[in-house]
Amino acid sequence: MEHGKHEASPEIVLDHGSGAQLSRELVSLIVETLGDVHIGEMEDSATLSVRGGRIAMTTDSFVVDPPFFGNGDIGKIAVCGTVNDLAVAGATPLYLTLGMILETGLPIERLVRVLTSVRETAREAGVHIVCGDTKVVRKGEADQIYLNTAGVGIFEREPLRMGRVRPGDRVVLTGPIGNHTVHLLSIREGLGFEQRVLSDCAPLNGLLGTILDEAGEGLVHSARDVTRGGLAAVLHEYAGALGRTVRIDREALPIQPETVMAMDMLGIDPIHTANEGCLCLFVDPAAEERVLAALRSHRYGSQAVTIGEVTGDTEPVVLSRDRAGQESVLEELRGAELPRLC
Amino acid sequence: MGKIAVLTNDIQSDVVGKTPERTAAVEAARPRFLGFLAEMRRRGHGIYHLQLVNLPDDPNVERDPDGTLPLQRGSRGAAIIEDFLAPSDVVVEKNKDSGFYETELHARLQADGVDTVLVTGLQTQICVQTTAADAFFRGYNVWVPSDCVVSGNPEDRDRALDWLGGYCATVAESDEILAALDRDGELARKVVKILP
Repeated sequence: MEHGKHEASPEIVLDHGSGAQLSRELVSLIVETLGDVHIGEMEDSATLSVRGGRIAMTTDSFVVDPPFFGNGDIGKIAVCGTVNDLAVAGATPLYLTLGMILETGLPIERLVRVLTSVRETAREAGVHIVCGDTKVVRKGEADQIYLNTAGVGIFEREPLRMGRVRPGDRVVLTGPIGNHTVHLLSIREGLGFEQRVLSDCAPLNGLLGTILDEAGEGLVHSARDVTRGGLAAVLHEYAGALGRTVRIDREALPIQPETVMAMDMLGIDPIHTANEGCLCLFVDPAAEERVLAALRSHRYGSQAVTIGEVTGDTEPVVLSRDRAGQESVLEELRGAELPRLC
Repeated sequence: MGKIAVLTNDIQSDVVGKTPERTAAVEAARPRFLGFLAEMRRRGHGIYHLQLVNLPDDPNVERDPDGTLPLQRGSRGAAIIEDFLAPSDVVVEKNKDSGFYETELHARLQADGVDTVLVTGLQTQICVQTTAADAFFRGYNVWVPSDCVVSGNPEDRDRALDWLGGYCATVAESDEILAALDRDGELARKVVKILP
């Protein structure tokens, strides 16, 4: 993991997929090259005008290693990832596509397991699979199975946007961080934590819908799915886009004790690690307590907590306050060296 | 009172000989390590050797620079090094870092009435650490004889021992462990506060 200024890489490296600084550089390259045909706003979903109404649209690809884990698989992640990206835009997810790249030799039984997970997770999220595609590649040209899902949702309330965030907004996490990363790494390497620490992978549109109803109109300003790049990537994105300092309290971060153990063993900071069932919300202070109460009454939000706030300071940095009250700048990682967790 | 078992990790020539630093570290630890194993056998405690075997279809296995798969089942490089092995010892194959991960180790220890494990071998910061953590999560009383664990880099070893002592194990030199057994007839379980 490196910090600071770097030359642009002449070829794709694993860290281009980490969700950290190199990923953002890659996205910038894509956007610049696409030019005026790109009209996205760099939210988790695009908000699009369609004949006087608005829809949300998003897409995501999934290359999880291992594709099958203790409490889920790539099929569950592929539905959750896209459903959650639509939900954090403030949309109600409705329709998903399902694209599959299958490696020769993949047992049909494993494909059926993945499809069963897609079905069950889609049922829970209240979405339908409306079209799909399959491609088969030779042995070694893919790792068992890769998925892509695109999703469409409708807006039944005002969209959530980064631009609505204001100084004083509370930064709220809906659940613990780091568990998905520890669970998958533990299965990948046999680290011994896989039964104690499970993936947090879950469809969170129901949770977010409940909060938006409880909070009061317009008082949850923005939301992000805390996936690859972790909480740090989300906070840096907001600090940069808003031109504001975001301050967090390290001690407030919800982290399972076994996850602390594993991260300490691996030398990884959980604030940089991927999750699949955790949202970061930016909430008007007037609604903070209502939002926390609503979150904690839901099975996917029982450990929700406020971790910081957006300040009025115009330096676009993330400040982290430790147990002793000392503040330091949270550095943005160039890459993360933890590929294929999503 | 449950039985005590010693678990060794990866005492195999493909692992020990991977770097000159590892080989030297094992040689330095060898006299005390062998002496401890012999004394534990003499006292009637079981020795379980965790034998790392790489599976050909595991995409995460680290191959040699020429693409060869090290530690193949039945190969000379995967065999437990002879000095460390006695006829009464048990060898348990493992395919990942933790000796408990999808192996028969837990079932064998349970069947043998073991509730305390002394985790040894190499490398301290990988297989010893993960096997100890896994044992702790499964409810074993975990001890680590600090002079019977090895790393190619001494700093990795020291950091791993700090982690083990801080989270899930009692770390002590092998002669201290033997003295505790002489004195108390058992090894006390550490009170660990990390978990609720």
